[in-house]
Amino acid sequence: MTQKSSGFFNWINARLPIVNTYERHLSKHPVPKKVNFWYMFGALASVVLIIQIVSGIWLMFGYENTEEGAFASIEYIMRDIEYGWVIRYMHTTGASMFFAVVYLHMFRGLLYGSYHKPRELVWVFGMTIYLVMMAEGFLGYVLPYGQMSYWGAQVIISLFGAIPYIGESLEIWVRGDYYISGATISRFFALHVVALPLILIALVFMHLVALHEVGAGNPEGVDIEKHLDEDGVPLDSVPFFPYKVLNALVAIGIFGIVFSIIMFFFPEGGGYMLELANFEEANPLVTPEHIAPVWYYSPYYAMLRAVPDKLGGLVVMGAAIAILFVVPWLDRSKAASIRYKGTLSKIAMTVFIISWLMLAWLGTVPVTALRTTLSIIGTIIYFAFFLLMPIYTSIEKTKPVPERL
Amino acid sequence: MKKFLLVAFLFFGSQEAFAAGGAPCGDYGECDSFKPELNNMESLQLGALTFINHCYGCHSLKYSRWGRISKDLDIPEDIFNDNLVFGANVKLGDRMTGSMKPAVSETWFGIAPPDLTLVTRLHGSDWVYTYLRTFYEDSSMPYGVNNMVYPGAAMPNVLASMQGQQILSCKDFPVIASNGGVRRDENGNDITEEKCGYLKTIEGSGALSAQEFDEVIFNLVNFMTYVGEPSRSDRERMGWYAILFFVVFTALAYLLFREYQKDYH
Repeated sequence: MTQKSSGFFNWINARLPIVNTYERHLSKHPVPKKVNFWYMFGALASVVLIIQIVSGIWLMFGYENTEEGAFASIEYIMRDIEYGWVIRYMHTTGASMFFAVVYLHMFRGLLYGSYHKPRELVWVFGMTIYLVMMAEGFLGYVLPYGQMSYWGAQVIISLFGAIPYIGESLEIWVRGDYYISGATISRFFALHVVALPLILIALVFMHLVALHEVGAGNPEGVDIEKHLDEDGVPLDSVPFFPYKVLNALVAIGIFGIVFSIIMFFFPEGGGYMLELANFEEANPLVTPEHIAPVWYYSPYYAMLRAVPDKLGGLVVMGAAIAILFVVPWLDRSKAASIRYKGTLSKIAMTVFIISWLMLAWLGTVPVTALRTTLSIIGTIIYFAFFLLMPIYTSIEKTKPVPERL
Repeated sequence: MKKFLLVAFLFFGSQEAFAAGGAPCGDYGECDSFKPELNNMESLQLGALTFINHCYGCHSLKYSRWGRISKDLDIPEDIFNDNLVFGANVKLGDRMTGSMKPAVSETWFGIAPPDLTLVTRLHGSDWVYTYLRTFYEDSSMPYGVNNMVYPGAAMPNVLASMQGQQILSCKDFPVIASNGGVRRDENGNDITEEKCGYLKTIEGSGALSAQEFDEVIFNLVNFMTYVGEPSRSDRERMGWYAILFFVVFTALAYLLFREYQKDYH
C-alpha cells in the first residue's frame, strides 16, 4: 500500500497520518489469537451504535418535538412515511439490543477480568458509556409521549425531588416546567439527539483508544505481551485486519439474524421492548395501574423499590451503578479469568448473576410483600458481590495462569 | 456455563407467565383467542364496512387515512367513495377524524368515545374480540347493557340488532363428592349447584346466528388489527428476506473466516 502509492496519496499522507493509523489500529494491531464468542459483543455494540445513529437521524425527519404533535408524529412515521416503520422498529429494537449486547459485554468483563491491570481505564470508560446510555435510553423513551413515557418520566424526574434542600427546584429545572410538558419534550429531544450522542461517541472513541494502547484481553487471562517476536509483536497474536474483522463479520451475521427476527416478527418484544401502554397518548389525568420500566432498567428499578424511603432508594440505585466503576480496584485476585480463580469467586459470580436476573424480573412486575423481600435480598447480594470482592479474591487459592495462550 | 445459560433462558422464558397477573379479560377471565388474517382481503373489506357503518359514527381512526385503506384493502376508489366514505368534503388523503364533535359526545356519553386506531395494539386483538362479544343486558346501566370484559363501559351495545339480547344466566353443575364421583341424594338423583355469570343469547332475538355474529366480529377485529399497524403484513413478509440475507451473509463470512483461520492454527 505504501510503496506504490500515487503522488497525491503521498501528499495527503504526509499531512494526515492515514497509513500510520491504518497500520496501528487495523492491519498491524495485534489481538490475541484465541478468544471465544464472549469477545464479539464489543464489536456488536459499535454496530448497534451506528444503527441507532443512522435510524435516529431518519426518525428526526418525521418526528415532532411538541406536546401536541409528538405522539401523532410517531404514527405519521409508522404509516405515512415510506418504510418509516422499518426505521422506527430498527431504532426501538436497536435500543433493546444495544443494552443486551452491552450487558453481555460487561458480563464478559467480569467473567474474564477484563478490567485487570493495565485495562482499568478501558473499564472506567466503558462504565461511563453505560451510564450515558442509560440516560440516553430514558430520554428517548419519553419522546413518543405515550402513557408510559409520561408516567415513567414522572417517576424518574420525581427522584430528583428526593434530594434534600435543592430537590424541588432541581425537579422543576430538569422538567423546565411545573409538570411534564412540551418544554420537557423539547429539551429531552435536544439532549437525546445532540448532547448525549456527542458524549457517547467521544467516550466510545476514548474506550477504543485506551483499549488499543493496552491491547485486548483473552479468556485465559494470559498476558500476551510477555512473549514477543523480534519485531516486538506478541507471539500469541494475529493482526486485527483481516483475521479479527472476519471473526466479527460472522458475529455480525448471526446478530443480524437475531435482530431481524425480533424487528420483523416481535417488534414489541412481548411488551418488554415496546410497552403496550405506550400505544395510548400521554394522559396526565389517568395514572396507569402499574408503572414498569423497559427491561434494561429493571434490576435497578427493583433496587429503587426495595428501599421504602425515596431518598434511600435513590442512593441505593446510584450506588449500584457507581460501584461498578471501582471493580478494577476491588478485585485483588492474581488471576484475571474466572477459569483460574478459586471456588469462592465462582460461587460469588453464580449467586450474583442469579440475583441480578431475579432483580431484572422483579423490576417488571407489580409489587407484593414477597417480591419486596426478594428485591431486598437481591439488592444485598448485588452489593455483597462487590463489597466482599477484596476479601474473597485475596483469600482464595487461584490456579496458576499459563504463560502462553 | 451451558447449564447456566439454560437456567437463564428458562428464567426469562417464564417471565411472561409471571407477568400476567389478574385475568386479562376482566370478569370473563381469559380472553378468547384471536388470530388475525391480514392477507384475507375479503375479511378485511367486510370488517371495514362494519366499522364504518357501526363504529365510525362515534369513534375516529384519526391516524389512518381513507386512501390508504382503499389501497391496502384492494377496494377500487369509486366503490370505496360510494360505499364507505360519508361526507361530500372528504378527500381520500384525509385522516379519518370521525364525525362526532368531542364536546357533543361528552354531553351524550359523559366521556368522548376514544379514537380506535391503536386500540388493538393497546389492549391486544384478543381483548377487543372478546369485549365486543360480551355485552349483556343490565337494567342498572344507563344504556341497559354492561360488559364482562370491561365492566361499567360507557358504550351501548351497537351490534345488539345482529347479536340479539344477551343475558347473564346461571347453570346447574353437578356437585362432586370427595371420592370424585357425582354426589346424589337419597333418591339417587344428582345433587346440583347453581353457578352464575354465564352469557346466554335469547334465541331468535337477533338477526344473525351466534356463528354468523362471531364471524362479523372476527372480520371487524381483523380490520381493526390491520388499522393498528397497516404495515404489519409487509413487515412479516419482508422479515423472511432480511433473515435469508443474514443467513447467506453469515455462511459466506464463516467460509471466509475458516479459510483465513488456517493461517494461524
